[in-house]
Amino acid sequence: MDFKKLLSENEFIFLDGAMGTMLQKSGLEAGEVPELLNLTSPDVVKNIHRQYIEAGSMIVYTNTFGANRYKLEGSGYSVEEIVSAGVRIAKSACEESGKKAYTALDIGPVGQLLEPTGSLTFEAAYDIFKEQIIAGAEADVIVFETMTDLYEVKAALLAAKENSDKPVICTMTFEQNGRTFTGCSCSAMALTLEGLGADAIGVNCSLGPEELVSVVNEICSWTSLPVAVKPNAGLPDPDTGLYDVDPDDFAESAKIFADMGVKIFGGCCGTSPDYIKVLAEKLADKKYIQRTPDISAAVCSYSNTAVINQPRIIGERINPTGKKKFKEALKNGDIDYILGQAIEQVNAGADILDVNVGLPDIDEKAMMVKTIKAIQSVTDLPLQIDSTIPEVIEAALRVYNGKPIVNSVNGEDKSLEVILPLVKKYGAAVVGLTLDENGIPKTADERFAIARKIMDRAVAIGIPKRDIYIDCLTLTASAEQAGVMETVRALSRVKNELGLKTVLGVSNISFGLPNRELINSNFLQMCLSHGLDLPIINPNIAAMTGAVRAYKLLANIDENASEFIAAYNNAAPVPATVASSSSLNVSAEGLLLAVQNGLRHEGALITEKLLETNDAMDIVDNMLIPALDKAGADFESGRIFLPQLILSAGVAQSAFEVIKSKMDKSEKSVSKGKVVLATVKGDIHDIGKNIVKVLLENYGFDVVDLGKDVEYQDVVDAAMPDDVKLVGLSALMTTTLKSMEETIKLVKCNKPCCKVVVGGAVLTPEYADKINADYYAKDAKATVDAAREVYGC
Amino acid sequence: MMITLTSIDRKETLRYLACKNDNIDESTMAIMDKCEKELLDVIAPKFIYRYFDIDSSEDTIKLSGSSLIMEGNDIKAHLSGCSGAVLIAATLGPHADRLIRKMQITDMAEAVITDAFASAAIEQVCAAAEDSIKGEFPGKYFTWRYAPGYGDFPIDVQKKFLDVLDAPRKIGLCTSGSSMLNPIKSITSVMGVSEKAITGKARGCITCTMKEVCRFRKEGMHCGF
Repeated sequence: MDFKKLLSENEFIFLDGAMGTMLQKSGLEAGEVPELLNLTSPDVVKNIHRQYIEAGSMIVYTNTFGANRYKLEGSGYSVEEIVSAGVRIAKSACEESGKKAYTALDIGPVGQLLEPTGSLTFEAAYDIFKEQIIAGAEADVIVFETMTDLYEVKAALLAAKENSDKPVICTMTFEQNGRTFTGCSCSAMALTLEGLGADAIGVNCSLGPEELVSVVNEICSWTSLPVAVKPNAGLPDPDTGLYDVDPDDFAESAKIFADMGVKIFGGCCGTSPDYIKVLAEKLADKKYIQRTPDISAAVCSYSNTAVINQPRIIGERINPTGKKKFKEALKNGDIDYILGQAIEQVNAGADILDVNVGLPDIDEKAMMVKTIKAIQSVTDLPLQIDSTIPEVIEAALRVYNGKPIVNSVNGEDKSLEVILPLVKKYGAAVVGLTLDENGIPKTADERFAIARKIMDRAVAIGIPKRDIYIDCLTLTASAEQAGVMETVRALSRVKNELGLKTVLGVSNISFGLPNRELINSNFLQMCLSHGLDLPIINPNIAAMTGAVRAYKLLANIDENASEFIAAYNNAAPVPATVASSSSLNVSAEGLLLAVQNGLRHEGALITEKLLETNDAMDIVDNMLIPALDKAGADFESGRIFLPQLILSAGVAQSAFEVIKSKMDKSEKSVSKGKVVLATVKGDIHDIGKNIVKVLLENYGFDVVDLGKDVEYQDVVDAAMPDDVKLVGLSALMTTTLKSMEETIKLVKCNKPCCKVVVGGAVLTPEYADKINADYYAKDAKATVDAAREVYGC
Repeated sequence: MMITLTSIDRKETLRYLACKNDNIDESTMAIMDKCEKELLDVIAPKFIYRYFDIDSSEDTIKLSGSSLIMEGNDIKAHLSGCSGAVLIAATLGPHADRLIRKMQITDMAEAVITDAFASAAIEQVCAAAEDSIKGEFPGKYFTWRYAPGYGDFPIDVQKKFLDVLDAPRKIGLCTSGSSMLNPIKSITSVMGVSEKAITGKARGCITCTMKEVCRFRKEGMHCGF
């Protein structure tokens, strides 16, 4: 089937109406697997297709919505059997009708939530969809519908594009607030799915037609693809389950969609062949309106779209270059450190975060995938994927949820040939560096020429101009003072003559100069007024973020100064300089008070002062640990409760950080020992384990955190190194205690000397003993006690 | 159906936090205020329910017009004398999980407090759902809400339970492979419906399978069940 031809030969395309509603009318019980009817009662299914085709449906959806590996588990049938039967039934209904009707392989959500909310991985979801797509290869079109998670649609669409050459229609289900359950917005859906090569996008199920008007309008403004609308027959009555919009009103509302430029129509829950018949009749005298939306340059996560219609800050801090702590974190796989860096920038006012995890001794690809997923689990800012290795870029592009920026391609043919096809395939935006095999040209004109070359090559393979951002490259003013204005001139020409967005790393300008902040913020102002759209800066430096905010106000972009006022009007008063160290009680007692009252800042300052006169280990053993013990005793006696214990422990941690930073220089270690932690396989409730982690760290232990839903073998592998003497396991549910038992068995089998401490709501000391755990921890504090016993400290 | 919460029961929340101290200092209270507000700002509580007539046999309870079979003596006892049952599923939505996950990176004390608020909030949502459902059945009597995983009512009924309600599609509530609800702050339950007054089915420790190991009971407290 030629989808483009089908579109061009018809004013409107009519899909079918509900399958489930029709099956329920023929006696399907709630909770039954409707797809089994493809084998048990094919005639019932075929009859429904036949009725829709007679009513005017040009494309009928196969009865395969939930025919995936997960939902068919235990049904006794394979995906292949059910899906191929479903396609056969629909095809024969089309053939027997004597009309020109096509078969769409219908695929709904897996039925399990994807990471990070659920435990189904992106890769596993891809495999599930791939199996369905291959089983339904005989269909004419592939449809993904009723989706609420953009990540899941991405897995599905990639699986379709990589395992089939059929056209793909993707429709998602929105609520009245213009979002899906998972928070996906219309713009994020359109930007992401059009980029990934969907052939049509739109909305199905959700609400009735009237409630969908604003959603459809919004989608239409963000895509040049044909838009499909397949609403419910209004809203259901909670008691009878009946829908409240009749075929006539349903079709009337469809006219509104036709006026917006919608091309593809159908019905979802509560609709029947009658609805399709009236729909086709009422739209018969209407003409399709070709839309030519002026789509803004934009990138997005699943829920947050950064429109590049004004300067947007790209945070540069997720990058190990010149950062010892960051490098350590990468080497140790300490993802929480990186997440802390991400959130700090979000709070400081970044709009987009650059992500670079390149370090010679690590598996950059694996680390990049892990980092992208982890960052997207705690913030919805769009990301910029920053690597020099094409395989790393591609791996990141696959698992990113939304439309990212790729940093970067340059004017070298080799770079253009490798990077641009990736950008095109995954529908990203791209940073083009104005350098080539001869290095960075001296003059603005030469850089402009490279920018043009990059643009021409990108446009030639189908990357829209709005997705190309040119970086005219900052050189250091101390080394090439004359070059500064060349950068600014090149930027201005790219912006005005090529009409491209511009991006620039700013901080390099001041390298080797005193008062770098002054130079940086002034250079930033210069560039902004010459048309810089995407400054890459350290947003944690108030002067830099402030420069962007001030520019937006002065350039009349920040209307009524509302953004500026929101940022500064309610700013907390600058804390009275606690650093007036005279008021600090620099003593063991002072440290104890700081710990007891949860005063992090004071705790760190006191420690710093104490270090001038005391040995580090003396502070740890004779002041810090006793202070923590006091807090622990208060917790046990009920004088303070868990959050207060954690706050106290947080003070100790900031003190440890001060000590560690001094110790690094003398290469001694304050670590009390290494503990491996995991929430067992099958269990996703990991907050208890995370509390234990924080407490252990605060008490000076090194923690190897394996996360949640951890394979038995992964625990064993992490426990094998000689310096690991203790493994901590948590499980919340009775159903996952079995996993705990199996994990312990495997650990003890491979490393009999390794101790195991277990905890979790349903555990008892007796059960812990029965499954061979060495310690039962009734709370986080008890785990710390176990660790101190094992390591004798 | 949506439910809007404007505040979360602080007493309940403190109980989830196993707080035995009545005098919480001001700074901790300020953190609690902040956490409650942040949570209320992001959650979108929803519930869904459906009524079924009960089709009992010797060992199991079947809900007519559905393929759900409920096994176990405890659910059978719970629903004895009831002619029908309402299945209920409720969730705070994925944003509560997301917020708590973020706080675990930025501030574990806030994460712990917000987690407790979320547990109290989903219980409030269920109570509100229960009230609203009862209003739909005037003159009927109801049991308290019994959940999969209580007693010998197997937790692995969750997937089918949600399918019967079409909960993944209607409110975005799913199970994981190990029958855990996703998003985490969600609850499923069964409420028996009867023509006559229901007696002798009180909630409380006596009917709880956790009573031997309960941390609340050990300390002379009560979980609220």
